[in-house]
Amino acid sequence: MWGKIAWRLFWRELSRGELWVIAFSLFLAVLTVVSLSGITESVRSALYQRSANFIAADKILRSSIGFNEQIQQKADELQLQSSRQVQFNSMLFAKDLMQLVSVKAVSRGYPLRGELKLSSSVADPSLVAALQPNQLYLESRLYSLLNIKVGDSLELGEKEFIAAGVIVAEPDAPLSVFGSSPRILMHLDDVAATGIIQPGSRITYRLMFAGSQQDLELLETQNKEQLGPQDRWQKMDRESAIGGALDRSERFLLLSGLLGIVLAACAAAVAANRYSQRHARSVAVMKALGATTTLSRKIYGSHLLFVVIFSVGFGLVAGQLLVQLSQWGVALWMPDYLAEFSVRPLGLGVLTAAICAVLFSARPLWRLAAVPALNVLREKPDQMKFDPVHLISGSVAIWLLMWLFSGDLWISSWLFVLCLVFAALLMGFAAVMVRVAKPMAAGQSSALRLALANLRRRLWPNAFQLITFSLALFLTLLLYFLRSELLDQWQQQVPEGAPNQFLVNLTEQDKTSLQQLAIQHNLELTEFYPMVNGRVLAVNGENFADEATKEKPEQRQGVGRELNLTWLNRIPDNNEVESGQWFSADSKAEVSVESQMAERLALKLGDKLQFSVGGQVFDATITSIRKVDWNSLQPNFYMVLSPDLMQGFPATYITAFYLNMSEQELLNQIVRQFPTVSLISVDTILKQVNDIISQVSVALTFILILVFASAVLVLVAQVQATLEQREQELAILRTLGAKSAFLKAALLYEFAALGALAGLFATILAEVLLAVVQQQFFDLPYQPHWNLWWLGPVLGVALVTVLGAWQVRQLLKMSGSTLLRRALQN
Amino acid sequence: MKTPIPHIVAKDVVKTVQLTGSELTILQDIHLTINQGATVAIVGASGSGKSTLLGILAGLDLASSGEVYLAGQPLHKLSEDERAELRARSVGFVFQSFLLLPSLTALENVTLPAELAGMPDARARGLELLAQVGLSHRADFFPNQMSGGEQQRVAIARAFITKPAVLFADEPSANLDSATGEKIEDLLFELNEQQGTTLVLVTHNHELAQRCQYRFQMHAGRLAADLTQTTEDKRHVG
Ligand SMILES: Nc1ncnc2c1ncn2[C@@H]1O[C@H](COP(=O)(O)OP(=O)(O)OP(=O)(O)O)[C@@H](O)[C@H]1O
Ligand SMILES: [Mg+2]
Repeated sequence: MWGKIAWRLFWRELSRGELWVIAFSLFLAVLTVVSLSGITESVRSALYQRSANFIAADKILRSSIGFNEQIQQKADELQLQSSRQVQFNSMLFAKDLMQLVSVKAVSRGYPLRGELKLSSSVADPSLVAALQPNQLYLESRLYSLLNIKVGDSLELGEKEFIAAGVIVAEPDAPLSVFGSSPRILMHLDDVAATGIIQPGSRITYRLMFAGSQQDLELLETQNKEQLGPQDRWQKMDRESAIGGALDRSERFLLLSGLLGIVLAACAAAVAANRYSQRHARSVAVMKALGATTTLSRKIYGSHLLFVVIFSVGFGLVAGQLLVQLSQWGVALWMPDYLAEFSVRPLGLGVLTAAICAVLFSARPLWRLAAVPALNVLREKPDQMKFDPVHLISGSVAIWLLMWLFSGDLWISSWLFVLCLVFAALLMGFAAVMVRVAKPMAAGQSSALRLALANLRRRLWPNAFQLITFSLALFLTLLLYFLRSELLDQWQQQVPEGAPNQFLVNLTEQDKTSLQQLAIQHNLELTEFYPMVNGRVLAVNGENFADEATKEKPEQRQGVGRELNLTWLNRIPDNNEVESGQWFSADSKAEVSVESQMAERLALKLGDKLQFSVGGQVFDATITSIRKVDWNSLQPNFYMVLSPDLMQGFPATYITAFYLNMSEQELLNQIVRQFPTVSLISVDTILKQVNDIISQVSVALTFILILVFASAVLVLVAQVQATLEQREQELAILRTLGAKSAFLKAALLYEFAALGALAGLFATILAEVLLAVVQQQFFDLPYQPHWNLWWLGPVLGVALVTVLGAWQVRQLLKMSGSTLLRRALQN
Repeated sequence: MKTPIPHIVAKDVVKTVQLTGSELTILQDIHLTINQGATVAIVGASGSGKSTLLGILAGLDLASSGEVYLAGQPLHKLSEDERAELRARSVGFVFQSFLLLPSLTALENVTLPAELAGMPDARARGLELLAQVGLSHRADFFPNQMSGGEQQRVAIARAFITKPAVLFADEPSANLDSATGEKIEDLLFELNEQQGTTLVLVTHNHELAQRCQYRFQMHAGRLAADLTQTTEDKRHVG
């Protein structure tokens, strides 16, 4: 029986437009969740795929002793794909020349991710070849260094090999721009025969796995005991430019996804409140006519349920549609992007709608059903009062949503507390501002005076409105600025014309002839960094053992091994002294250490390091610790020595320049002219980074649009609600003879004032949060955002006034008596 | 002549409301008996407590102390839901500002109480009543498409659809011009007569009060002399 009434009322409310805002808010929330989470998931899996390409696997277990067979067995149980790899340095012998090379021996199945390109011809990279036992594939410069050609025989350790061709592309080649010896690739099965692997040799073993993310996580989390101190899981390369870009884009998408949801949820809450306000009279009438509270609850509860079903249904479909459509957009930037259909976003959408409905919207309707029947006898029933329970349930909902969406309890709680503090501050602020508006009003036009009087009179509803307005504007501004800032920052990191070709191993003579060549061809060379190989032997007189021990495995890593040392007068651009002082003109026997390395080796200012370079041993005192931007594609050094120390050593040099892709011929000329110099092109890496930046930029623009739509929705819901609250007041003013132009002006002033205040608050909040987010989340330096300071208030005034004017127009078009009748009816 | 059956009884009813810091007495010392089928007017100055009394007699509100019986049921002992059910079965209302549900048509507004009370044939009876108030042609109109008089006629049809034993009306014609108001009043009395309903109405309108069999004067929360009776129990009417 009640079902019939409920259903009929529902359709009527729907066709009267009563439920649209609430339905649309929920719809938008679901749409945002489904599309964002769907697209993010697709982007993420494409990015993940791509980052996997850089390590040629999804996950790698690295060890210095040998393959961990227990882990291998577990991986087999999980049916993960796997492959193995051994890396070491060794001498490679040709007929009469030899060369230190970096050897990678791989098992069948390599690479699990990405693509290995081998060619059987030095000149023609398109002659595709595959690795066989007894073969070596060499980096092309080795052919000139050793003066050999394809087909010649070579010796590595005790075994003879055939030089079978060149390595054209290797997915997991080290991204570090310099310092590696020429690379060669061989089959794992041949390693034993070389006899190179002896106890104590410096060798890296890699077990490489690929498979589903869950299985991979299981493999890591369930087998912690099986790992020895020498075993280490290797994730995607965090220190590379690409790793950094991926990392930050992931966080950013997550964070901005949250904003849209919270906004839509607020819109739903405001709309539900408004719905309840509007129907308080109807409920009182129904109850007077004999409906019990339970019955009213059923009727209005079912409305919410219908709305939820309706919005969720459309939201899911539209969201998934957007995900599918994203295929077109995103794939332009990211050819390997594949819009995925996955259940998780849909589930998230439903859950979000449920949380929004129950915690944001159910409470006002619950209270609605409790409106006393006696209200029918009141000429002007009381407005529903401020409801602390709704505030609490709404806050809990926001927190739940944050948690649900970020999957990180800590971040969500942190953000949540921050929001609470801001809301409290705003509330206080709003109260004060509205109060001080009074003296300002004196001497103003009467419409302005009425506006300010209104603002003051409705202090608390206005304060609440102000918070919603501010929140909506704040989130939009925050996202807008973060977006452009991140993109700027990333672009700066890889500026147009950044050096994309590196020349390593230049001799003193090469250096001069290269400089001439550069002048001829108008190339701009970066500084020449001198470079020698050396080792750290001791710290404060205490020797480092060669092998890692169980107790101090961490400390030993990276010490004793060969390091690229340089000496410089001037600190490199992308380095920053964290503590201590950079060398002065009369610095003697000093060294500057990179901060991460200093931490790893527990080095501090004043420590004395003993170095060994070319058989000579000398000491240097640490006088500065440097922070290095590893994301920059620049030569970076762990240890920089003061120039006095290194004068006598024969060094090679490294330099870089930018070359347009079309000038490939010049590159070939350089390679021919300097056969012993290694040319490293980071063009593909740069392109990848740029790709990621463009994709993230598209994703962010999309999110920004959604967030903006949610914000506008909140504003519309709120403006509507306020206007309804004052229908009666307007009616009275109209009947008292106020001209509609006057009322309109007063209302618009009021909205403009609210918008300006909200814009100002939003600006302050955005500035604070931008600073925090920049420093805490993205490791970016803080800069004030001057644009924000005019954009925020202007956007506030413009949006709120325009939306207000649009709503007011309809209200003021009505004649006084219609207005009065409507006011009395509601 | 039938023996009069007491239909609405109020004994020593007091209504106070809690204001911040103080207590305000709105009604006190109310004794009242209204017999079945009687027509009663409650008149009095604005703010004298007429609506408050009406609310208590109709079970919309509870007295602070005292006893109230409606159609044999002790309202003061019933829960809110029980009172709602009693209203659904036995009480009809007509309000000053009509209070139709804006999202329902005239016919749906009329049938709503019948549906709430789970009565069969609501639609047929609703159409019949609409015809009776002369609004058959407005059955599918929404309240905002009707004039005030029409809306109030719909409200009257709505009040009678459950064949209530008692009908309460708070200023039923106050929002209408006098000609329309009179028509509304005619309708009220007509249906009252037809159905044998007890009619309790609150009004400022002297003429309307005159049409009732009994009249009570409210004065500052007290029920003053019954203006129509000369018997020793002036407050026992019907
Ligand atoms: N909940 C309440 N809180 C405070 N005062 C109340 C409350 N309800 C009623 N009153 C006061 O009680 C008095 C009687 O109110 P009531 O509405 O019954 O008057 P009335 O006789 O119907 O007046 P009118 O003819 O103007 O409708 C008024 O002074 C009113 O202000
Ligand atoms: Mg009254």
